[in-house]
Amino acid sequence: MPKPKAIKRERPKEKFSYDPRKVLSRLEEYGRNVLEAIKAGKNPYFDIPMRGLSNVYFDEKSRLIKMGDKLSRRYFLNVAHARKFMQTLLVMAYVKRLVSENKHASLREAYYANKHTIPGTKENTFEDQRESDPIIEDLERMLGVLREEMHITADRRGYIYGDIVIRDGEDEFNASKLGSGGWAVPGTVEHIQFPEINVDYALVVETAAMADRLIEEKFPKKENALIIATQGQASRGVRRLIHRLHYEEGLPIIVFTDGDPYGWYIYSTIKQGSINLAYLSDKLATPEAKFVGMTMDDIERYGLKNVTEKLKGIPPNKKGGPSGDYKRILEEMEYPWFQNKEWQRQLKLALKWGVRIEQQALANKSLEFVAKEYLPEKINNGDLLP
Amino acid sequence: MAEANQLFKEFKIQSVSEFFRRNAAMLGYTGKVRSLTTIVHEAVTNSLDACEEAGILPYVRVEIEELGTEHYKVILEDNGPGIPEKYITHVFGKMLAGTKAHRNIQSRGQQGIGISGAVMFAQVTSGKATRVITSTGGDIIEAWVKIDVDKNEGKIVKKEKHPNPKGWRGTRIELEVKNVRYIRSKQGVYWYLKLTAIANPHAHIELIEPDGKLIVFPRSSDEIPEPPVEMKPHPRGVLTDDVYRMARRTRRNTVRRFLIGEFSRISDKKVDELIEYIAALRLIKTEDDKNVQEQLYERLMNGDVKAVLRSFRGYTKVVKQVAKMMEKPPEKLTWHEAEEIVEAFKYMKFMAPPTHGLRPIGEENIEKGLTNILKPEFVTAVTRPPKVYSGGIPFQVEVGLAYGGEIGSGFDLLRYANRVPLLFDAGSCVTTQAARSIDWKRYKVDDLDRTPLVLMVNVVSVHVPYTGTGKQSIASVDEIHEEIRLAIMDAARRLKSYLGGKHRRLYQVKRRKTFEKYVPEIARALSVLTGEPEEEVRDYFLKFIEERLAQKEATVEEVAEEVSENA
Repeated sequence: MPKPKAIKRERPKEKFSYDPRKVLSRLEEYGRNVLEAIKAGKNPYFDIPMRGLSNVYFDEKSRLIKMGDKLSRRYFLNVAHARKFMQTLLVMAYVKRLVSENKHASLREAYYANKHTIPGTKENTFEDQRESDPIIEDLERMLGVLREEMHITADRRGYIYGDIVIRDGEDEFNASKLGSGGWAVPGTVEHIQFPEINVDYALVVETAAMADRLIEEKFPKKENALIIATQGQASRGVRRLIHRLHYEEGLPIIVFTDGDPYGWYIYSTIKQGSINLAYLSDKLATPEAKFVGMTMDDIERYGLKNVTEKLKGIPPNKKGGPSGDYKRILEEMEYPWFQNKEWQRQLKLALKWGVRIEQQALANKSLEFVAKEYLPEKINNGDLLP
Repeated sequence: MAEANQLFKEFKIQSVSEFFRRNAAMLGYTGKVRSLTTIVHEAVTNSLDACEEAGILPYVRVEIEELGTEHYKVILEDNGPGIPEKYITHVFGKMLAGTKAHRNIQSRGQQGIGISGAVMFAQVTSGKATRVITSTGGDIIEAWVKIDVDKNEGKIVKKEKHPNPKGWRGTRIELEVKNVRYIRSKQGVYWYLKLTAIANPHAHIELIEPDGKLIVFPRSSDEIPEPPVEMKPHPRGVLTDDVYRMARRTRRNTVRRFLIGEFSRISDKKVDELIEYIAALRLIKTEDDKNVQEQLYERLMNGDVKAVLRSFRGYTKVVKQVAKMMEKPPEKLTWHEAEEIVEAFKYMKFMAPPTHGLRPIGEENIEKGLTNILKPEFVTAVTRPPKVYSGGIPFQVEVGLAYGGEIGSGFDLLRYANRVPLLFDAGSCVTTQAARSIDWKRYKVDDLDRTPLVLMVNVVSVHVPYTGTGKQSIASVDEIHEEIRLAIMDAARRLKSYLGGKHRRLYQVKRRKTFEKYVPEIARALSVLTGEPEEEVRDYFLKFIEERLAQKEATVEEVAEEVSENA
């Protein structure tokens, strides 16, 4: 007789919305605007939302890091802009071809595909991938679409395991029947559909080792959970997948990371988005995500004191401090989304004790402890941090 | 006594050749390269002066033939007025007997020894007589001239007359010289003639080098410069000797009339003033107390002559004595009195000397000369108004500035005194100092020694203050230094505004290219995005750039013109 569960699948809030025609029409619209301007003898330009910290704010209502409304205008007839103007159009045309031919390219491929010497000069259209990557980001912000929607894929990292059916193009399969390695999340998840979901929630796990442990202990099956391994900081694909699973499929998201500033930061990006990708928070972040561990309280509750490790860096009260992990913790204490009793308590304890606790430290109890006791107990009791 | 006579006789025999040998440096005959240049200089100067006086556009041809090691034949031919037969020995034979030596007149000649020095040089190095072929339009006279060292005069060794059916007029001289060398250096004949051509755009100058190469510096102006006129000396510019000598020569019958008639800026009233000054100076010299004397000199300098006189008892007597001196015949003027007059001149105030006798090249002709010979992309010239140095010697400075074009990288300074190129002793010349004292960076010349820039400076004066005996560098007189600086700065400002415009145009071209080079890329991309034909899109963009930048360039040009007008 399974215990009643605190975590249940919810009603979906968004619908599968991927439509390549939207990207194409937007590209054509911008192209036409430029053409109209030049025909009318006006200096054509693009309005591009500015990047960087100065144009980023935390929106209390949606609880997301969002992009401000500062625009930078990129003119054709401006010595400082002309090159970037040309590059923008070049990438736009490339994206149009990609999307209409239903091909995907990596950032590096996009760079090489558009790099060539400008006739009559010694200048290349792109000298470096560092020139083409920002143009693609500019386009995301300008057009309000994801890079993935433009068929330019990000690095892939992370995998999932659990009883859900995935449709990826012509393939359809159950993510719990692909062996213990699970299904590797591709760089682009826009076109992925989920015909069948038989899990109650998704557990996002920081380390692959812990995810493998849970799979070996048959945790997904027993707890009716979907394991999402981020393998460190969550890639865009994984973050988008988490977002979609939550909003389109109503799956609650629970995050399980190491009990250290880096782990908490992983949680923070999944939940609130990052400054770099603030303009994509709407599509990548999942503010409703909850945090299961590791917490400082776990150390006491499960008697893990002897398996903690010292924080790196200099504490704030010592000379030269704060630095390293201490500094990071102090910064995280300032995050608007950590402004609650529970989180402030955890962060303060970490500072006070000067220790960190890894997920794998739970193996100190026994290998199956994490799957049999720690997670089921905390999750089913709703013992989660916001 | 007999011994002394013997000694004196020998001395006399050797006098002229000895004089020449001893003063070779002063006369310009030192060094193998320089000696050759000096010979050419003397001959060319004679030709140009003669043409100028006769109102002929000069055609000068110099030919250097190599006869052996350091052994050359120098041939010089002009289309001048020619030399009348009886003057041939005078022109080519007499040393120190120039026509301008004792006149207060601007002249090319510097040494007062002229072509006879060249004849002498040929004679002492090769032993050969100088061949002169000349005609004033009648018969052609061919003469071999030598200098009689004993008598210090020319001697025609051989003479022939030839008919002149074509009416040729001019002079050709041939000198055979040894101990000289022809090199194309900045001290050589080639460079000398090139510089001469720049400063004399009305002259056509040709040079045939020893290897047979013909170099032509063509004429670029048909305007014959007016010959300079003699100016009466200014009281502040004369020495005791001048006054003494002039007093001997004058036809005036009193000292007063002599002073008024032979000097500029001296009136009847000025002579009255001069009397008081001389009297005052005589009285001051009687004062024993050095301090008082010093004070009196100072007051005199301030023009307080009446007060100085009144401070001595019985001063009217002295004044009367001096006044008496003014009424005696000038030839009775003693050396001491001449000395007193010159001393008093130093304390008196005079109007600046007349400058009508100065003959600058002129801005237009400098520009023509520089353009014609150097083929620069930019040229400008400045002729300053006449000024006076050391109180009474008029002088005038002009500069020309040529930039770019066929001028090689690096700064060149061409120095002239009365249109004559100065090739030696550049370091000690006021011209060099003034040019180097300019902050060239202010005029958009960032690295002077790598800029293709030629600066010519011509100092015009009746008495150019040379340093040393070589007469190849101008002394650092403050007034001249300042004038040269002002003239250079004026010309440099024009260069700056030219360079500014050039930078602007380069910038515009670069700017236009920045946009145009991207157009094909943009057109292709836009064509993909919109389906519009690539060619058409490209034309839209090119037309747009053309229109926009044409507008901008127009406004930039206007601004530039305003700036240069203000400058």
